Parts: sequence; structure tokens; C-alpha cells
Amino acid sequence: MPVQSAGPRLYKSIKFKHLVREVGSATGGGRATNISLNLTPFVDMMTILVTFLLMVFSATGQLIQAQKGLDLPIATARETLQQAPVIIVTKSEITYQGQLVATIESVLRDDSPTFKIDALFERLDAAAKKIKEDVVMGRQPKDLVKACEDAKANIRPQPGKICPDGLAILQADESTDARLINKIVNTAKAAGFDNLLFAVQNK
Amino acid sequence: MSAAIGTGDKKSVNVELNIIPFIDLMSCLTCFLLITAVWVNIAQLNIQPKGKTRDQAQVQQDDEHVTLSVLVQSDKIWVGLSRVNEFQEIPKKADDQDWDKLESTLKDHKASAFFTDRADIEIAAESTTAAPVKYQDIIHAMDLAVKVGFIDVGLSDPQGLAARPSL
Repeated sequence: MPVQSAGPRLYKSIKFKHLVREVGSATGGGRATNISLNLTPFVDMMTILVTFLLMVFSATGQLIQAQKGLDLPIATARETLQQAPVIIVTKSEITYQGQLVATIESVLRDDSPTFKIDALFERLDAAAKKIKEDVVMGRQPKDLVKACEDAKANIRPQPGKICPDGLAILQADESTDARLINKIVNTAKAAGFDNLLFAVQNK
Repeated sequence: MSAAIGTGDKKSVNVELNIIPFIDLMSCLTCFLLITAVWVNIAQLNIQPKGKTRDQAQVQQDDEHVTLSVLVQSDKIWVGLSRVNEFQEIPKKADDQDWDKLESTLKDHKASAFFTDRADIEIAAESTTAAPVKYQDIIHAMDLAVKVGFIDVGLSDPQGLAARPSL
């Protein structure tokens, strides 16, 4: 391949006069190629973006997992969620802590007189016993242990500081049949979960 | 941290801050916050399930106090008072339940002598295959109850309500 002369080059053939500021012009040098990008708008934008993101930053949303086929019901409630075992009800299945428990169809087909979901009861029962043991042994954070003592004294807990003993989160799809919700609530109650937090989406 | 430019001029006081570390930090922070940002704002409704507990063989009924009960059905909502046996029927509007009417009814009850210093209410939903009630309707009823001031919401079976309308 024959050697060819170089084509147009930046700042030589194409001057980019609007970018080039000859800062050395005071010294009399005419070939200075220092360029200075105006970074002020960029820094402004980054600052505003970081401020906005810090303001909307929330750790509570990470307590529950996004699931396919799950649209949370909408409510005006503003209380933030707190950490607890999560029962998830999608359009097709029930999971507990991410593990499949039963399908919606099988639960709705079951007309047993006990009116509870046995597979879910077993898991919730074991979880309730473990949480109770943790609370008794003081393995929970101090503020939650105090919340448990307050609960025994019938003192209303502060938002987000409910005693973890008997506390679970229900994250169900908005179109779930109420019969299913009744069964899950009955199962949770029977297993010792006296406090249920219904996860909702703010209006 | 800073460097003077215009070296040929002894009187120059121009100072240029090195903002590269600042931009680096901002870029990293922006990326982290964008990745971890939660755009859906999740809240909670706290309820106490009614019914049998692990240690109870039977459902405990409170016969001492008047209890405000709400029964959500597919085509209407009942609001009732136990002991008094007073029921109010709120029929469904064209495409949705009459939530405004339910809210005003609950407000009236909250202002009554029975519930001025109380915040408990029980809610149930009666759903069948032919006439299903959606979870969103239960949440809506609970949300209104909490909004009105009944913050101790109990969820019950339709059969477990203290005040049950005779259907």
C-alpha cells in the first residue's frame, strides 16, 4: 500500500476556534493548543442530580422483592415498611421468603375445614418459633427488643419499630381473591403472627 | 490543590481548582444512586388478624364492647355495630364501590359516643367464585378506616365479624 499524506487533522486543518483558547497569547506564543472545556454546566447538573437522588434514596423498598405478575394495591398510607418475613402472593403462586409454597389454583380449590394453607403454616410456624427465640435471647436490635417490652405493656409502637415477634409482611397482587387473603391471614394467625403488614404502593 | 496560571504575569491572581477528583466522586455517586434508587414508594398497612391463635382453640368474642364491623361484598358494603345490631348498606356505584359514602359513614361512627376514644375496627371480605372481591377493595376499605382514625384494623373472616348482617 503506497504511503499517502495525512488527511485533515483536528486543530490544524479543522480549527475548532470555538474550543481553543490561546492562554499563552500573553506570552506572544501563537501556536498554543491548550483547550479548556467549560465544565461548569456539567458540574451543576451532576450536583443537582446527586442531590435529587440522595433525597429520593430509600432503603425500605429493598425489603421486598419485585416479582413478575405482582402489582401492589394502592393506598394513601405513609408508614414505612420494616424488616420481617415476607409472604408473596402473585397472580399464580404463593411464596414465602422466595420459596414456592403453593399455587393459587390449588389453594382456591382446597375446601378443607381447617381454612388454612398447611404448607405455608409449617414454614410460618417454624419462623415464628425462631423469631420468638431470637427476641427472648436478645438477638434482635435493642430498639426492637424495647418495642417488644412496650407491646407487653400495651404501649403503641412507633412507626417502623414494631416488635418482630409475630410480625410478617404480606405482599400480594391487587387482583388477588379475598378468599385467598383470608386463608393466608388465618394461616399466619394460627402460626403466631399477630401483626401483619400489608405492603401497599403510595398514591 | 491549586495552581496559578498565566506564569508570565507576576501580578496574576488567577487560581484554578483541580475539580477532576470532584467530578470523579460525583460520577461514581450518581452511578451508585441511580442503580440503587427505588422508584416505587412502598408503604404498609398494619393489621391484626382476628381468629384463632396458636394457643387458642376458639375465636375470642368481645361481648362487652360495641364493635364496628365492615363487610365488603362484590356489590355492596355493610357497616354494622355489634350489640346494637344496627346495619347500614352501601350499594356499589356503576363500576366501583361507593368509597366516599363509606368514608363519610366511618367518619360519623368515629364521631359517635361509642368510638370517640377508640380506634378499633374489624373488616372482612366475602368473596365467592361467582362474586369475587379483590384484595384492592380490602386495602381500600382499610385505608379509609385508618384515614378516618380507626388505626387498629382487624381483618376477619365474614363469619367471625362481631356484627354480621343477616343475609
